[in-house]
Amino acid sequence: MRIAVEGILMRMKEPAPIVYVVDDDPEVLKAIERLLESAGLECATFPSPRQFLERYDRDAAGCLVLDLQLPGLNGLELQGLLEQQASQLPIIFLTGRGDIAASVRAMKQGASDFLTKPVDDALLIATIREVLAKDEALRAARIQRERIAKRLATLTERERQVLEHIVAGRLNKEIAAELGTAEKTIKFHRANLMRKMDVRVVADLVKLAERAGVGSTSKT
Amino acid sequence: MNWVQVVWIIMIGASLMLGVVHLFVWKKQPSQHVSLLFFVLAGSAATYGAFELARMHAATPASLAAVVRWSHVPLAMVIISIVGFVRLYFNAGRLWLAYAVVGLRLAALALNFLTGVNVIFREITALDHLQLWGGAVVVGPIGVPNPWVIVPQLSNLLLVAFIVDASITLWRRGGTVARRRAALVGGSLALCIATAGSFSALVVTGVVHAPTILMPGFFIVVLAMGYELVWDLVTAGQLAAHLRASEQRFRAVVEAVPNAILLVGEDGVIKLANAQTEGVFGYARDALVGLAVEALMPERFRTSHVGLRQGYVMDAKARMMGTGRELFARRRDGSEIPVEVALNPMHTEKGLSVLVSVVDITRRMQAERAAARQRDELAHLSRVAMLGELSGSLAHELNQPLTAILSNAQAAQRFLAQSPPRVDKVADILIDIVKSDHRAGAVIQRLRSLLRKEEPQRHPLDINEVVEESLRLMRSDLLNRQVVVNSELAQALPAVSGDRNQLQQVLLNLVINGCDSMNGHRADNRLMIRTQKTTNGNVEVSVADRGAGIPSADLERIFEPFMTTKSHGLGLGLAICRSIVEAHGGRLWATNNADRGATLHCELPSKAS
Repeated sequence: MRIAVEGILMRMKEPAPIVYVVDDDPEVLKAIERLLESAGLECATFPSPRQFLERYDRDAAGCLVLDLQLPGLNGLELQGLLEQQASQLPIIFLTGRGDIAASVRAMKQGASDFLTKPVDDALLIATIREVLAKDEALRAARIQRERIAKRLATLTERERQVLEHIVAGRLNKEIAAELGTAEKTIKFHRANLMRKMDVRVVADLVKLAERAGVGSTSKT
Repeated sequence: MNWVQVVWIIMIGASLMLGVVHLFVWKKQPSQHVSLLFFVLAGSAATYGAFELARMHAATPASLAAVVRWSHVPLAMVIISIVGFVRLYFNAGRLWLAYAVVGLRLAALALNFLTGVNVIFREITALDHLQLWGGAVVVGPIGVPNPWVIVPQLSNLLLVAFIVDASITLWRRGGTVARRRAALVGGSLALCIATAGSFSALVVTGVVHAPTILMPGFFIVVLAMGYELVWDLVTAGQLAAHLRASEQRFRAVVEAVPNAILLVGEDGVIKLANAQTEGVFGYARDALVGLAVEALMPERFRTSHVGLRQGYVMDAKARMMGTGRELFARRRDGSEIPVEVALNPMHTEKGLSVLVSVVDITRRMQAERAAARQRDELAHLSRVAMLGELSGSLAHELNQPLTAILSNAQAAQRFLAQSPPRVDKVADILIDIVKSDHRAGAVIQRLRSLLRKEEPQRHPLDINEVVEESLRLMRSDLLNRQVVVNSELAQALPAVSGDRNQLQQVLLNLVINGCDSMNGHRADNRLMIRTQKTTNGNVEVSVADRGAGIPSADLERIFEPFMTTKSHGLGLGLAICRSIVEAHGGRLWATNNADRGATLHCELPSKAS
């Protein structure tokens, strides 16, 4: 069963995540780029938030290493703008000043971390890796949910009713009685929905349905 | 001897005496030509009087004719000297009239000897005995009038016209003395000559039967003129007394003035020195008189001063000596003191003298230096305080290159740790590390320079560079305050002469103030920094904010110490900025913008101007 779920996830595997770096200081920008390259991380640098906004790939996996003090749009403002755009890109702030007020605000707005310059390589790289891994997991879960939802959408009304009863742990006989039809018919629906949901055993079906939140509705 | 003889002799004697008195006056004062003329006039009048007396007692017509003929010689002299006297004494009268009178009179004199028995009579046929008051009998001529008599008569007429005209001119000039002179001398002359002329004309033409007597008229003229001249002498005496008093006053003033005062002749020799010179120069004042003024200068200035002094004589005006230069005097012991020297020309008959007033400004210079030192110290203190305010920004300016260096170095370590090591990357990384290190070094250098307490030094500076450097130092602060700075820096500006640290302090202060003025205002926080060349060739930096502006009553007050609108700070910033700018020979002022906010302008003299 586990292999099957992993298989779904495997098929969703995306290209390597990108670390976006925005800092208006070209020397710092170049040094961080080098550091990330030496750590084997894919990286894209931007001297201003505006250039970043124009060019970053919304769908790609990755994270943003963002300088807090920037001319024009500052770091916090860019964070707000990304939130408005419903971006899921995690943000690691990198700032020259240990400004508590700004860091609290950044964390409240959902920043992943807040580091101060000059930053130690191990800390920066570890933080980025951690954030990337978290992001990857989140993205995977999200994508899986979306796929399951897509499959659920192919079920007929009757198949969906049957699925809810299965998830609730009822036997075919019980379901037939409940729905007022023959046990044979339920078996037929069951086979169809197993095929549509691309599972072989009931346990997997239940797992998928739970992930998609089907079970919770049937319990009411 | 009848009374006529007595009176005539008295008049002759008195005229002669008055004449001789003024001859002595002229001898004493040869410039007094009027006195000499008066002597000629009085002498001629006396001579004429003698002829007139002889004529009144002539025995035969022939002798009478001869006496009349010869009497015209002194008469001509009387008239010519009257013309000269009026012209000289009144300093008035038309020259052409004077020449006409003299010409006609000389012509009459010629005709007097060439035609008839004299210019009055063609011939004298008999003697006319006339009985005068008191029983005196005098002789008059009976004969045929000479038609040329018109010439002397015309001369008389023109003489009256000349005198009247000169008197009117003098009267118009105004003043009591001139008017009295015009009335008394001019009036008596005109009246006497007109009366005498017309009287003799009437006698000659036979309308009036009386002797032709002119002497009393001439005598009155002599008396009037004599009175005037004596009055002049008296006035001259009074003037001399005044002069003595005024000279005493002059000396008293020169002694009382706290400055050292020297009176120097055109030749550069000291003629007078007041008591204060002893203190300033260390010489006894008597030793100073007779010295060349160059002795009071350091040797290095002496040669050039001779030329300067001669130049001053050409165009002598009251002024300060050597404006813009520092002047030094040399004391007797050879020491030098800074001085300020004022020159005042005095024109006298003996040529130009220059009143030289010397002030020892050693104390003032010391006070000025102390004030400058205090100003610089205060400027330094306020600069340190300001840098404290900017410390966050400055730390950030250091932090950036340090961040770049650390990340670059650690990247290099990682590249080298890979297998195989990525040595190719390391060369570039090292170049960048060096670059960042220089950048951090420059920030520290600038900071050290701003923090260090040192004598301000004047160097030619590009003001644009100072502006850009200030903005670099404040970069982080500006970002933090979300202030956008637009700068319009004029190209090819002349250099200004100034102390980099102090001018940078002024600029930082103006930028900080501009930012402060916009705290809590609208989102569009912008500063506009401009540099430009002013119309008079100076350099102006202006910082325009978009804050609330300055109440017009405070436009000047903001430069007063302890005047602040901020919750923090002492309110010394702008006061110190102004003192710095003024010490640089520039000015600092504020204006309100037409739309919003205020602008602070700083004008500095360019190196060239």
